Amino acid sequence: MGSFFSSRIMTDILGGLASGVVIALVALCLVIIWKSTHVLNFAQGAMGMFGAFVGMNLVFHGVNYWLCILVSMMAGLLLGGATERVLIRPLYGKPEINPIVVMVGFLGVIESAVPSIWKNEISTIPTPFSQVYYQSHGHTILMSPFVAFQIVLSLTVMGAIALLFRFTDLGLKMRAAALAPEVSRLLGVRVGRLLTWGWMLSSGVGALAAVIVSSGQSLAPSNMDGIFVSAFIAAAVGGLESPVGAVTGGLLIGVAESFALNFWSTNLAPLAGVIVLVVSLAWRPQGIFTRHVARRV
Amino acid sequence: MLLTAGALSATFGLSSLNDSKLAGGAAIAIVILGLSWLIGWSGQVSLGNSGFMAVGGYVTAIWANHHTATPIIFSLCLAMLCGALSGLIIALPATRLRGPYLAGMTLAFSFAVGPLALYFPSITGGSGGLFLNFLNAPNWFLNLFSGPQALVQANAQWSADLSIVVAAVAFFFMANLFHSRTGRAMRLVRDNDVAAELAGVNLQRTRTLAFVISAAYAGLGGSLLTLLSGSVNSQMYSLQLSILLLTLMVLGGVGTLGGAVIGGLIYSYSDNLVSLVNKLTGINPTSSLGANLKGVFFGVLLILTMLLAPKGLGGLGARIANMANRLRPASMRAPTRE
Repeated sequence: MGSFFSSRIMTDILGGLASGVVIALVALCLVIIWKSTHVLNFAQGAMGMFGAFVGMNLVFHGVNYWLCILVSMMAGLLLGGATERVLIRPLYGKPEINPIVVMVGFLGVIESAVPSIWKNEISTIPTPFSQVYYQSHGHTILMSPFVAFQIVLSLTVMGAIALLFRFTDLGLKMRAAALAPEVSRLLGVRVGRLLTWGWMLSSGVGALAAVIVSSGQSLAPSNMDGIFVSAFIAAAVGGLESPVGAVTGGLLIGVAESFALNFWSTNLAPLAGVIVLVVSLAWRPQGIFTRHVARRV
Repeated sequence: MLLTAGALSATFGLSSLNDSKLAGGAAIAIVILGLSWLIGWSGQVSLGNSGFMAVGGYVTAIWANHHTATPIIFSLCLAMLCGALSGLIIALPATRLRGPYLAGMTLAFSFAVGPLALYFPSITGGSGGLFLNFLNAPNWFLNLFSGPQALVQANAQWSADLSIVVAAVAFFFMANLFHSRTGRAMRLVRDNDVAAELAGVNLQRTRTLAFVISAAYAGLGGSLLTLLSGSVNSQMYSLQLSILLLTLMVLGGVGTLGGAVIGGLIYSYSDNLVSLVNKLTGINPTSSLGANLKGVFFGVLLILTMLLAPKGLGGLGARIANMANRLRPASMRAPTRE
């Protein structure tokens, strides 16, 4: 049993799933924003990192780890809401290129502004659980309490988001506002406010993802760049519209990159993502989990 | 044409520092023009043009290290061809997609190029990159100069003139392309792809062509930059460069020749611009904000331009001219273009 879990392929799959859940989480955020406002949030990773910088630097001032996570998520929430109100709202109804360009600009601003606000934070963020890998019958399994915590936390948050959208009044309104804004407005749903909340939700969750990624290493504004690119690929493979597709795509990309990393080289992991994207788009351009919808003329 | 002649003669009056700045600006202007064509005329967004620049740069450097005595024009054409080929590979799946998919896909490509170059250290020189000889002015050009600094001045000026001429040729082709059958088809695809398809335009072929041309221009610009700087490495062609290209293009004005020129000029003097902002705002250039001011400044500028003046500086100029024209008495008004 032990040798099975420490075999090369199982190691890759476990490692891939561990990074895959974070990718899936970010991909889910992208899908939430895409479905509600039809904007691909290029600053998703950077916005999350901003939240992580606000919260996690408090760790070095003796603040409790869990409190820091909470602060990070609150910072992410606020930044997300502000972004929707200030940057995105003026662009509704404009060509779809405009929000892309604005969010790319915002990505640039955050990545240069963050190191000028918090300077020289090279200390490593502690992890709440041990990073020592489990042993089984003398074999090392690529799974530590911390990795397990990452996976469980990500899955919990995904489950909470699913519950929110499926079973609560708020979730129903958010879905309605995204699907048919005009009708929802007539029925008394405050569409504008819900769109802001959608952005807040996804930016707050993005901050959590950034904290998960950055724990155990030092904070850097570009920590999330690679994750964001993978998350975009995951969301695109899933069809950008489908939350289930995004999560599946995230796990798929995580495992694919893990295999590429182990069997080829670290430098080829990003290429593996591109290959998965190209193949899946050639096979099903509308995404693996979306039904093909004829465009109305 | 006049502009080119003017720019060429201007290089004689400028210092070697300004010449080398202009040379880089001309190379970047080519890339911006390719991006501007893609976004403004075919309505597709690419964040991968820094990746195509890397392809052009590496091809030039690798070729130059194996065949030292190659005419420049040949290296440029080779880099352009390789840029176009890599563009074709990306375009085939990507152009079936719309807007954000394409942008994300090209982003993923530009993200993968750097590590890919590191994977083949024996060919690409690994993280140190490759070096090649600086451009040297030919003898007839050298003879135009005298004095103690003749060699430095002549070389700087030769590179500036060379890249301005290359840029002029690239701009000439693009100007013709704008008004060709392909250019018109492209605009129709951008504005209404269903109507274009009904009119017999092959959507995928047109989009792919736009993408390939843009990639070829990026390859050409990257090759020129490599020749000018005498080196190429994988850190040069980062996500930041793609963002900068987009910023410069939007600042100058999307889809126009003039916009690309403005973008190139802003690139040439971006350091001066940033230090001016430094001086005006009183930010200490050695502080952490000062060190990152360039990124913040251009990012904010990009967002503001997009929100307030989506047509860029070129569009703003046209709007002011239009307003001034309207203030004149009717008999003196110039015919309006809009």
